[in-house]
Amino acid sequence: MAKILYIEDIQDNITFVERIVKARGHEFLFAKNAETGLELAFTSQPDLILLDLGLPDADGQTLSVWLKGNPTLAATPIIVLTAWPEEVVRQTVSAYNLNGYLCKPFALMDLVNMINSVLGAKAA
Amino acid sequence: MEIIPADRFTLQELTELYNQTRVDYLVPMPMNADRLNEYVHDFDVDLHESCVARDANGQVLGLSMLGFRKQIAWITRLGVLPASRRTGAGSALMKSMLANAARLGAKETHLEVIKNNKPAYELFLKTGFVEKDTYLVMRHAPRPMNISMQGDVTWLNFDAALEKLSDYPNHLTWVNAIDSMRNSPNTEGVHIKLSNGSSGWLVYSNTKFTLRSTLSHLIMHTEHGSAEEVGIQLLTHLHARYPYHDTYAENIHENDSHLVAFQTLGYFTNFSRVEMRYQQK
Repeated sequence: MAKILYIEDIQDNITFVERIVKARGHEFLFAKNAETGLELAFTSQPDLILLDLGLPDADGQTLSVWLKGNPTLAATPIIVLTAWPEEVVRQTVSAYNLNGYLCKPFALMDLVNMINSVLGAKAA
Repeated sequence: MEIIPADRFTLQELTELYNQTRVDYLVPMPMNADRLNEYVHDFDVDLHESCVARDANGQVLGLSMLGFRKQIAWITRLGVLPASRRTGAGSALMKSMLANAARLGAKETHLEVIKNNKPAYELFLKTGFVEKDTYLVMRHAPRPMNISMQGDVTWLNFDAALEKLSDYPNHLTWVNAIDSMRNSPNTEGVHIKLSNGSSGWLVYSNTKFTLRSTLSHLIMHTEHGSAEEVGIQLLTHLHARYPYHDTYAENIHENDSHLVAFQTLGYFTNFSRVEMRYQQK
């Protein structure tokens, strides 16, 4: 079982992902803005962070820099879940050295496979 | 449909309305009330001249904001709730914005629309706006640099940075204009002189968030020599000084002579904006 933190401002998206994550036996935490997400990441030390790029206080790219700038979180994998155009997301994930992305709307199994893949790679 | 001044609403209410209008936006960029407050301040948005549309039952449909400076008006944050689109709310808001701009004495009104936002673009065309130039919104993630630093640099404080910006020879869109940079307490700059006589400057905003800072609103000018060479050195010095800052370079002209410098330093385009203008009749 892994601890997964989802940083996302839209409740419907949180509810959708929470169901998927919990159904696979993982612990689920969430934050609705960048600052709370950063604090929660520090205090909870998740195994994986799911990150929306459009957050109300600072965008996801900036938050990813803050997360990776902390030694205790630098190795924590980050998957981007976003409605941004795919080409932009692909470049963002590459430039910011993130671990993967899914463009909304995504299928349930795409998220499951992405989580398993990233957590599996981390464990290996 | 009723159009009412936006200052009848709290910043929190306006923020929530704005975020609801953008849930399905091409590039989702929600705000919180603090950020909206900063936006209103830095960009001279007049909430009394800004508008909210609501229906006969008092249900809000959308909003639009208006800035005004020296006979130029700026329309921003226009949005209509997804369920209320194609009801004429967007047109009504635009009509009110232009009427308010005219009453304030605007000779020209500007706005920016994200490239490929066809419904908004067509609304603006229909309202009488014409397309001017295309600007890039670029990002730069912190990364190790392998470019050697050259030249003598002088770091510029707020006043010195604004002095440089006052000499900028090209058009700046509203968010990077000298009035915006003057309104922000975070404006700084750097001047460089290279050994071959080339020189130039970069003005930017070093925004302090609660926990960390970011760089934004980059405006670069080459006084002498190659824009590529000067630009690369200015950006190299900037990122060496702030190695952990995320950078958001907003509204760089698509033909800016420093574009290669940005790309060399690893900047990539997030999206493009088209500036449109309306001549007051």
